[in-house]
Amino acid sequence: MNKIELLNGNEAAAYGAMLSGAEIIPVYPITPQTPLIHKISEFIAKGEFDADLIHLESDQSALAAAVGASLGGARVFTATNSQGLLYMAEVCYYASGLRVPIVMAVINRAVSSPHSRYPDHSDAMALKSSHWIQLFCETNQEVLDTAIQMFRICEDRRVLLPGMFSYESYLLSFTWENVEVPEQEKVRKFVGEYNPEHIILDPDDPMTINAPTTPDYLTEFRYKQKIAMDNALKVIREVGKEFQREFGRFYGLIDPYRVEDAEFVIATMGTIASTAKEVVDEMRAEGKKVGVLRIRSFRPFPREEVKKALKSAEAVATIDRNFSAGSNGALYDEMRSALYNTGIPVKGYIAGLGGRNVSKNDIREVFEDLIQKERLEEISWINLRG
Amino acid sequence: MMEMSEKIDLDQFDKEEFLGPSLKSCPGCSATIVARFALKALGKDTIVIIPASCLATLLATNTQTGIKIPYLHALFECGSSTATGVKHAMMRKGKENVNVVTIAGDSGSMDIGFQALSGAAIRNEDIIHICYDNESAMNTGGQLNSCTPFGARTPDWPLGKRLMKKDAPSIMAAHNIPYVATASISHLEDFYMKLKKAKKIKGFRYIHVLSPCPISWGYDGRYTVEIARKAVESGLWMLYEIENGSFNLTYKPERRIPVEEYLRMQRRFDTLTDDDARKVQEIVNELWRRYEE
Ligand SMILES: Cc1ncc(C[n+]2csc(CCOP(=O)(O)OP(=O)(O)O)c2C)c(N)n1
Repeated sequence: MNKIELLNGNEAAAYGAMLSGAEIIPVYPITPQTPLIHKISEFIAKGEFDADLIHLESDQSALAAAVGASLGGARVFTATNSQGLLYMAEVCYYASGLRVPIVMAVINRAVSSPHSRYPDHSDAMALKSSHWIQLFCETNQEVLDTAIQMFRICEDRRVLLPGMFSYESYLLSFTWENVEVPEQEKVRKFVGEYNPEHIILDPDDPMTINAPTTPDYLTEFRYKQKIAMDNALKVIREVGKEFQREFGRFYGLIDPYRVEDAEFVIATMGTIASTAKEVVDEMRAEGKKVGVLRIRSFRPFPREEVKKALKSAEAVATIDRNFSAGSNGALYDEMRSALYNTGIPVKGYIAGLGGRNVSKNDIREVFEDLIQKERLEEISWINLRG
Repeated sequence: MMEMSEKIDLDQFDKEEFLGPSLKSCPGCSATIVARFALKALGKDTIVIIPASCLATLLATNTQTGIKIPYLHALFECGSSTATGVKHAMMRKGKENVNVVTIAGDSGSMDIGFQALSGAAIRNEDIIHICYDNESAMNTGGQLNSCTPFGARTPDWPLGKRLMKKDAPSIMAAHNIPYVATASISHLEDFYMKLKKAKKIKGFRYIHVLSPCPISWGYDGRYTVEIARKAVESGLWMLYEIENGSFNLTYKPERRIPVEEYLRMQRRFDTLTDDDARKVQEIVNELWRRYEE
């Protein structure tokens, strides 16, 4: 029987790792990821979870150990965020190049300086070009379900890439929600076994791994990562459908909310979408044709799905919880690129940095801007103090 | 000034070779000697992890490899952490008898790699770490590092280093690991014995091998073994092991030769004054005085 438990995001992620049968979990503490680690160690101490939790001496070492363990043939899970994720950056690229399907929870937190413990997406966005799959969750239920799906997606032979699933610090990590916890056996069956053949450290099958390459070689390695990422578009959808058959909940590449006939749409990621969905309901009641397009898969970025979903849109706004000085929010760039040649204007907003609240009123103002066609093709900062 | 090296009887070592033929090492490279004998002693059931270094670079290119056992070229600072993961996977998969060994340069061990190394040592991971010490960051052209000795000049420090060499084996011994040893490529029987002993021990084992480099140290490649021998015979490089905390000198030079005989064979000490050479001799004398006590 599936049971309902009151879980915060970290606990939901810990359940996901346990139910999926992660074998080796190398970790290093960072707020707000630590309760996830505590939960896993509690599972192990109680004898409920047969995993090897390795306490490394740094975040970077944790991911390096994850790579080593995966190359040794084990299913590997780890978790980090912000400073820890950036400290891992070099190993992130290394892992995806080696095609090790490590699954990592990223509990989005702003990156210092200024120091902040609060949520934004700048940590994950700093690694958007590291060839990892990147999914972003909206609820704790989705966190648990995505953890499970991630192992299937990353270990799929057509993919074989590492993957991060993100959820915002505090807003999800420290917020309790009712979460349906699926049965262990059912999940193990769904996830299956990890039996790597493409890359392995094994004295009975000696391989030299990561030989230095000349200009003759590297391009094709990258191209194969591109193909794998393209394949992931299909695999994420497939796994989503199969998951729905088994567990009754569906998550795809995007999460369109009342978008079908919407003229004005906000595209965003993570928990801002929850607030926006409420505003959409209110404004729909007022007769306004508005909708929310939550992007769940940032890597691979589902351009075709986005374009299809926004067929009837007159204008789109992006709300980015991240920013790159000298450029834009990461989602804005992706959306503009996806909608290139469609004639749909995209207006960008920066909001929620370092945990600043994004209220229903803020969202409503964004919709009003779109409806009044104000300052389209521009970047605005929501709630910026003068 | 060339002296004939003692002939080494290769029959005393295991016959199987795991390195070569297509290694891209310089003539007189001792890193390959370290790797060759380490792998011979450890045997087929071994996985070797080598962080960025000369050795990591010279073993393989593209699809061509010169090593017959599983080899992972690790990130520079991640040798010991990556090896930790590999060993844990072996234990998980019922292959706990597989030797997991990291072979790293002195920067990859004592500078950028030190955090991961110290972490693995204090966790007493079941790993063997071999540091081949060419006293510089050689893969990038021989820059200064914490293992460069007093008085040596490097391309990025042409006046000669004024700071002391890090005492790596003592630092590792302070982690209270079951086995720490020093070795030299000139004393292969001694090195081999230590490798064989380390292989039998469980937990973290550390072997620090003095590993002369003709390019960095400035001498003709044919003298590699000779220079290593002089380092030992002058008493500058002491051969010992620390097994479960107890110190054991494994080789005692009958009559210590003056350290200048070692120093003056190498162009990196060109800027070393006679005063400084005396200072080095003093350091060596003090080392042995402490030992005699
Ligand atoms: C993070 C990082 N910083 C710098 C480098 C450049 N680098 C590669 S090898 C090396 C020196 C290696 O020195 P050592 O460990 O002493 O081995 P050696 O090459 O002397 O054998 C350096 C500086 C790198 N690969 N990665």
